[in-house]
Amino acid sequence: MKPWLSIIMTLVILVQASLAHADASINEEEWMQYKTRFLDRGGRIIDNGNHGISHSEGQGYGLLLAYLADNRSDFELIWHFTRTELLLRDDGLAAWKWDPEARPHVTDINSATDGDMLIAYALALAGASWNNKEYVAAATRIAKAILQEAVVKHAGRTILLPGANGFSARDREDGPIINPSYWIFEAFPVMNALAPSDAWELLTTDGLYFMKSLQFGPAKLPAEWVSLRTAPRPAPGFERIFGYNSVRIPLYLARSGVAEASMLGRLRQSLASDDQPMATVDLTTGKRLQPLTDKGYMIILSLLDCLTDGTKVPETLQQFQPNLYFPATLQLLALSFLREEHAACL
Amino acid sequence: MSMTHRKAALAAVPLAIGLLAAVPDLSAAQDTHAGSAPLLSLERQGRLRAIDDAVANDARSATGSRVAQVRTVQDTPTTQPQPVAAPSGEPDLSALRYFASRGDTARLQAEIARLRALYPNWTPPADPLAVPQNVDRQLEQLWQFYSEGRYAEVRAAITDRQTREPGWTPPADLLNRLALGEARTRLINASDQKQYATVIELGASNPNLLNCSDVDVLWRIAESFVRTERRQRGVDAYRYILQHCDNPQERLATAQKALDLLPLADVKPLLALERTLPDGQPEFASLRDGLARRAVAEANKAKRTDVDPADVDRLEALATSGNDVADMLLLGWYLRGKGDLDRAEPWFRKAIDREPSASAAQGLALILVARGRPGEAEAVIFPWRADSDDAQATYLASATNFLALTPAPVIAPEILTRMASEILNAKYVAGAQQLGWYAQAFKQPQVAARWFETALRWDPQDEPSAYGLLIARDSLNDRPGVAEIQRNWVDKSPRIAAYFEGVATATVPREPRTARAPAPVERVEREEATRQPMPPRPASPTVRTASEPRRPARQSACQATAINAAPATAQQQLMQGWCLMDLQRPLEAAEAFEAALKSPTVAIREDAAYGQSLAYLRLGLTDSAAVAATKSPLRPARAAELQVAILANRALAAFSAQRYRETLIYLDQRAALKAETTDLMILRANAYRALGDTASALQIFRVLAEVGNGDAMKGVEEIRSMDDHNG
Repeated sequence: MKPWLSIIMTLVILVQASLAHADASINEEEWMQYKTRFLDRGGRIIDNGNHGISHSEGQGYGLLLAYLADNRSDFELIWHFTRTELLLRDDGLAAWKWDPEARPHVTDINSATDGDMLIAYALALAGASWNNKEYVAAATRIAKAILQEAVVKHAGRTILLPGANGFSARDREDGPIINPSYWIFEAFPVMNALAPSDAWELLTTDGLYFMKSLQFGPAKLPAEWVSLRTAPRPAPGFERIFGYNSVRIPLYLARSGVAEASMLGRLRQSLASDDQPMATVDLTTGKRLQPLTDKGYMIILSLLDCLTDGTKVPETLQQFQPNLYFPATLQLLALSFLREEHAACL
Repeated sequence: MSMTHRKAALAAVPLAIGLLAAVPDLSAAQDTHAGSAPLLSLERQGRLRAIDDAVANDARSATGSRVAQVRTVQDTPTTQPQPVAAPSGEPDLSALRYFASRGDTARLQAEIARLRALYPNWTPPADPLAVPQNVDRQLEQLWQFYSEGRYAEVRAAITDRQTREPGWTPPADLLNRLALGEARTRLINASDQKQYATVIELGASNPNLLNCSDVDVLWRIAESFVRTERRQRGVDAYRYILQHCDNPQERLATAQKALDLLPLADVKPLLALERTLPDGQPEFASLRDGLARRAVAEANKAKRTDVDPADVDRLEALATSGNDVADMLLLGWYLRGKGDLDRAEPWFRKAIDREPSASAAQGLALILVARGRPGEAEAVIFPWRADSDDAQATYLASATNFLALTPAPVIAPEILTRMASEILNAKYVAGAQQLGWYAQAFKQPQVAARWFETALRWDPQDEPSAYGLLIARDSLNDRPGVAEIQRNWVDKSPRIAAYFEGVATATVPREPRTARAPAPVERVEREEATRQPMPPRPASPTVRTASEPRRPARQSACQATAINAAPATAQQQLMQGWCLMDLQRPLEAAEAFEAALKSPTVAIREDAAYGQSLAYLRLGLTDSAAVAATKSPLRPARAAELQVAILANRALAAFSAQRYRETLIYLDQRAALKAETTDLMILRANAYRALGDTASALQIFRVLAEVGNGDAMKGVEEIRSMDDHNG
C-alpha cells in the first residue's frame, strides 16, 4: 500500500500549492508560446508533427496544461472544442481522431483511453480548483464510462484497454492488447474520487507489475503495444518498438510518485547510456532507430537522473522553445512537475 | 415557467418533448448535465460560493487533498438546477441592441417576440433599428462572436471577463443561445457519427432545437429514433414536420427521407399530409415513381401480391419507357408471383438482353420450368448457378425437371455431364434420383442403380430412390440386391410391398417411371415469390346440373364453394373435388384436390392425389396426372388403375407423335399391369408396322381378325397387298 499512500501525499502537496494560488507551475510566457503554436482559436490542439490533426490525447494535454498554467479562459476554449467536436460517443467517451481536412472531421469514432483519462483528469482538477461543478460533472461521466468500457479483468490482472473497440480478447486473436504508455498513474486516484471502484487501485498495482516486467529484447524496454493473450509479448501486427509514445512511461511514473527509485533507475539505464543516446528502439534487435534529441524527451532523462541521484536538470533543458506538439507537451509536464515537487532539481 | 416562455418565443410549436421524455435513458443522462448548464450557470455560480469556502477550509486543515476536493465539489447536493426564474422588471436589451446595430432584422424580430413573451408589459421600441447601441463594448464583442458562430471564443471571453471582474454575469439570453448553438453543433456531429443515443439525448434536453426553423435537426432526431428501434417516434417526428412546417423543399425532402428509412405502411399515412402547391400540383408528385417501386419491392419481399394496380401500372410504364433493369426485374418477379407468367416472362427476357443478371436468369428459368420447358431453363440459369444459394437451387431444380420430362428427352452428353456434376457437388437427392430414372428409361439399369444408390447414401430415408433402386436391380436380375431392398423397405413403403406381392403372383410389373415427380422447384426458392402458377379459372363458373349426379348430397356444397371460392377444410375440398368431377369440371376439381392434398390426414391426401390424377387424365394432361399420382402413397389397386390409364394415354400420344418405339415401351409397361385391350393391340400392331416389323404386326392383326375385328382385318389386308406389290 506504500505507493498508494505516496500518491495521496503527492496530491496533498500539489493541492496545497494550487489552492494557495501560488504561481502557476507553467508560467505565462511558456503557455503563450505553447498556445501560439498548438492551440487554434476554436479550442483545437494541433498535432503539428502529425499532419495537423487533433485527437483526444491532445485535447486532454491542452486542458491539463491550461489548468497548470492557471488559464481559465483557455481551458474553457479547449473544453468547448473537446465537448462539441469529440465527446459524441453514445457511451460517453471521446472520439479519438479529428482531421481538419476531412468531412465530417471525426475520422475515427473509436476512443483512445489515454485521451479520455487526460480529459477527465484535467476537468476534475480544474473543477476542484476553480469550483466549477460542470467540469467535475463532466469528468465524472467520463470516468464512469472509462470504468465501464476500458477497464477489464484479464488473467487475474486489472488492465486498461487502449480503446473501447478493437483491443479486447474478444476483438482480436492476440487480444487483449495494452499500451503501457496509456497508464497515467497520477490520474487513477482522481478517477477513484470521481467514480469510486477498487479497479483504480488495482490498475495502479497491476500497472506497476507490468512496468517492471515488460522488458523486451536486448534493450530490455517495454513495447508500445503488448499482447497479453499468453505471456506478455510485443503484439503481432504492430511495430515491435519502443516508440515515441513509450517515452511517457517514465514521466508518468515519476509524476505519480508511485514508482520506487530503483525502478526509475533501471528504466533510466535502459533508455540511454553514455555511448547510447536516447532513441526509439527496434525491440527484436535492440537497434536504435530515431534519436530522441528534442528537449522534451531529454528532460525526462534529466528528471530521472535528479530523482535517482540528485543531478540537477541542465539550464538549457529548462528553456522552453517549442517546435513540435508532442515533445513540447512533455517538456511542460516535466517542468511543471519539477517546479511543484522537486524545485531542488532546477 | 420561463422555459415555456422561451419555447413560445423561439418556436411557435416545438416538436412535443413528451415524445422524447418517455425515452428511458434520458432522465439518467440529464443529471448535472453540462450541456444544459449554460442556461443555469448564473445561479450555480452563486451556489458554489458556499462550497468554495467549505473546500478552502478543508484544504487548509492539511488533510485536504486534490482528491478530497474533487469529491467535495462532486458530492454537493445536485438538485436539478432550476431555470432562471421568470424575470420581473426590465428586460435585457443587449441582444436587441446588437441585432439592431447590425441591421439584422430577422433576428431582431425574433428577439422582440421573445422579449414580449417574457415581459408581457414591455413595449418594443417604435423603430427597433434606431435602438441605441450597447454601451458595453466587451458585451458587444461577445454578441459579435456569437453572431459569427464563434462559440468557443464566446466561452473563452466570458470566462476571461468573469475571472477579471468577479461580480460580472453574462446576459442569460446570451448563455441560452450559446448553449443551444453548442447543443446543435454536438447533435449534428454525433448524428454524422451515427451516435444516435447522443443525438436523442441532446434533442431531449434542448427542446428549443426542435422546431421548423431547423428541420435538419428534426430529420436527424427522426433518423436516430428509426435507427434505434423506436420507429414510431421517428414517424412522429416526420409527422410533426409535415403537419407544422411550410418550406416546400423541406417538406418534399422530409417525405423522401421517410420513404428511405421507413416501411411503406408507416410512410403512407405521412404522405397523406401532402399539400397542394400553388400551381395545383400535389407536392409529393415526384415521389410517386419511387413509391410504386417500393410498393412492389416490399410486396415481392413479403411474397404478397396485393399491390395497388395503379402502382403496378406505374412501374410497368417506367419499365417500358426507361432502361432501368431493376424496374424490369421488380415487375417480372411481381407478375410471376401473381401467376401471370405470360406478362412476367418478357420482362425477364428484356432484363437479360439489357444486362444479364442472376436474378433475371432465375426468374426466367423458374417460368420456363413452370411451363414445362426445363431444358431451356437449365441453359438460362447455368452461367449463374454459383452466384447465390438461390441461383444454385434454381439450377438444380431446372436440371432435375429436365431429366424428369416424359418421355425422357435425348440430352446432349455435355449438358448431361454438367447437370450430373452439379447434382453431385450439391449432393442433391432429387437430382440423383432423377438421373437414376433417366438412365433406367434408356435401359441402362447399371447406371441407374448407381444413381439411386448415391441418392440413398445422401438420404437413407428417400423412399422413391429405394423404389428406383428396386426397379433397376430387378432389371439387372440382381436377386440379392432386390432382397436387400425388400428387407429394408417392405414395412416402410406400400408400393415396394405391393411390388413383392406382384412378384408372388408372377405378374412382374414394370413401371420404371411411375415414381417420377418433377423436382419441387418452388420449395427450393427462398427469396422470390413462390406462388405456383394456377391453371386459369373459368371467368364465371356456370353451374350445370349433372345428368346423373352420383353424389347428389354434395352438390349444393359444391356449387356454393365453386362460386365463392371460400376457404374450406381439407375434407370439404376433397368433396368439392369429387363434386366438380361429377359436374365434368376437371380443371376446377384438380384445384380442389390440390387444396385437399395439404391435409395432414393420410387418407384424405391419398384420396386427393387419386382424384387429381383422374382429373388430369380427363383433361388429357398425362404428365400432370403422373405427377399427381405421386403426391401421396396410393393403395396398390388405385396406383395400378392410374398407372394403366397414364400409360395408355402416353402410348397414344407417342404414336400420334410418330414415336413408335416409345409407343411400344409404354404398351409393354401397361401390359405388365393389365391385359391389353383390343384397341391397344391394334395400336401395337400399327406401331410394329410403322417400324418395319410387319411380321409382328401381321401376327396381331391375324389373331384379332379371327374374332372379327374390322381394323385388324383391314390391317391384314393392307400388309398382304403391300407384300404382293413388293413381291
